[in-house]
Amino acid sequence: MRDSRRTRLILGILLAAALVLITVGHRSGDASVAGPLRQIASSVFGAAEQASTKVTEPVSTFFSMVTGAPGAKERIDGLKKENAQLRSRLAAAQLDRDRSKQLDRMLGLSGLGHYRVVPAQVIARRHTPGLEDNVEIDVGSRDGVRRDMTVLNGDGLVGRVIRTGPGTSTVILLTDPGSSAGARLEGGRELGVVSGLGENGKDGNLIRLRLLASTVPLKKGRRIVSFGSQNGTPYVPGVPIGEIERVQMTPGEVTRTAYARPYADFSALDVVGVVVRAPDRDPRDSVLPQEPGRGVPGKKDKGKDHGKDKSKDRSTGQAKRRDTTGDSGEPDQAATPHQDEGRD
Amino acid sequence: MARNLLAALLLFVALVVQVTVLNRLPVKVVPDLVLLVVIVLAAMRGPLDGAVIGFCAGLAADILPPAGELLGQYALVMCLTGFVAGRLAAHAPLFATLVCAVLAPALTVGVRALVADDGVGWTYLRTVWPWVALCNLIAAPVVLWAVRRLLRERRRQTVLVPSWRRI
Repeated sequence: MRDSRRTRLILGILLAAALVLITVGHRSGDASVAGPLRQIASSVFGAAEQASTKVTEPVSTFFSMVTGAPGAKERIDGLKKENAQLRSRLAAAQLDRDRSKQLDRMLGLSGLGHYRVVPAQVIARRHTPGLEDNVEIDVGSRDGVRRDMTVLNGDGLVGRVIRTGPGTSTVILLTDPGSSAGARLEGGRELGVVSGLGENGKDGNLIRLRLLASTVPLKKGRRIVSFGSQNGTPYVPGVPIGEIERVQMTPGEVTRTAYARPYADFSALDVVGVVVRAPDRDPRDSVLPQEPGRGVPGKKDKGKDHGKDKSKDRSTGQAKRRDTTGDSGEPDQAATPHQDEGRD
Repeated sequence: MARNLLAALLLFVALVVQVTVLNRLPVKVVPDLVLLVVIVLAAMRGPLDGAVIGFCAGLAADILPPAGELLGQYALVMCLTGFVAGRLAAHAPLFATLVCAVLAPALTVGVRALVADDGVGWTYLRTVWPWVALCNLIAAPVVLWAVRRLLRERRRQTVLVPSWRRI
């Protein structure tokens, strides 16, 4: 009985102490009793907790592994899937950035020439060297694309639309052997026809330019723009096509032939634009890339790359032949390429 | 003195394990190890010791670092629990342990609902308490067995060692 009374007393004291603690702590927060107590506790228990965590981390990891085991497989699968998704999205983002850059350039080009352009993306390509070279783009009649509309990209002329579906259209590229476009030399009225070679063999990505006037001096580095047709179909005027890279000897023929490197990179087409409305006035040469960028140094470099001896021989031969044919007004013009090549 | 130190050590370990291991397991409800140790110690040593041990353990639980604002609520609850467990254990130790393990969380919630004003109350009692009680109920015999074994082994060792030496 005595023991029980003592027990009760102590119990009462402890309970009272607890209540006092609660009250005091509740009233004054950390200021009075709780503050020092908590500081001691945090120093003592904190160290112990750190040590314990360090020791038991494998245990808790193991436990979480065990408890998570049923869902782990699913989770791994999900994560794998998500990983793949994110990776593809990353690649897509990269692609998008490139595309937006291309789109910017293309819109800049079309703005320069006052074309009205529907932007499109190449979704498929059908390409047999020397036979066909077509791409499928993701705009169609719903977007206002019709047959025989010009397709360009930021660099220059790409091709024209030959068939449209509701959501897609087929574009025949400039490099397709079956395609030909009216062309005009920069800064002049000399007309010609550009047709594709289909990337056949050694010519790489070149296109062939047949100039209708045989008297015009053709020289390496001259630039070609599209001539344009009536109502802007199939080709709108003024779109940059390429630069003459090689002039071929065609003695005795009515036309003169040159090979040009197109501005557009046909092996890496992505964002293109379909010209749905031709400019009201022919922009002539205003759409061509800035001259300083492709100025004399660039020409020189290209000449060196190509092996200047051959071109020199050819041009001199050309000049001689022309001399023998003795066309009127020829000497002046014929002399120019010769001098140019010699300077190179 | 030695057994008091041992009890303190046991409680300290229980406190640390509770916050560093048990509460970090990826399950919703875990047993309250400190409470169970207090109950078992009280059941082994009687109501007076139970009340003192409970008060000290509760105070320690109150100031254990990731602790809330409230100081003294666990001291109150565990003091009472220790006393009750010690009282009941004189007749039926396991029963006392189980009853206390089930009722103590409810008491904690009751005290908290009375003292603090943070909306802990009936909803907690309805939704979480059954699970906590179940968890404690399952863990209580294990803790009882472990603590008893630990404390008794020490006692037996002191007896055994001389006898072993004699052989």
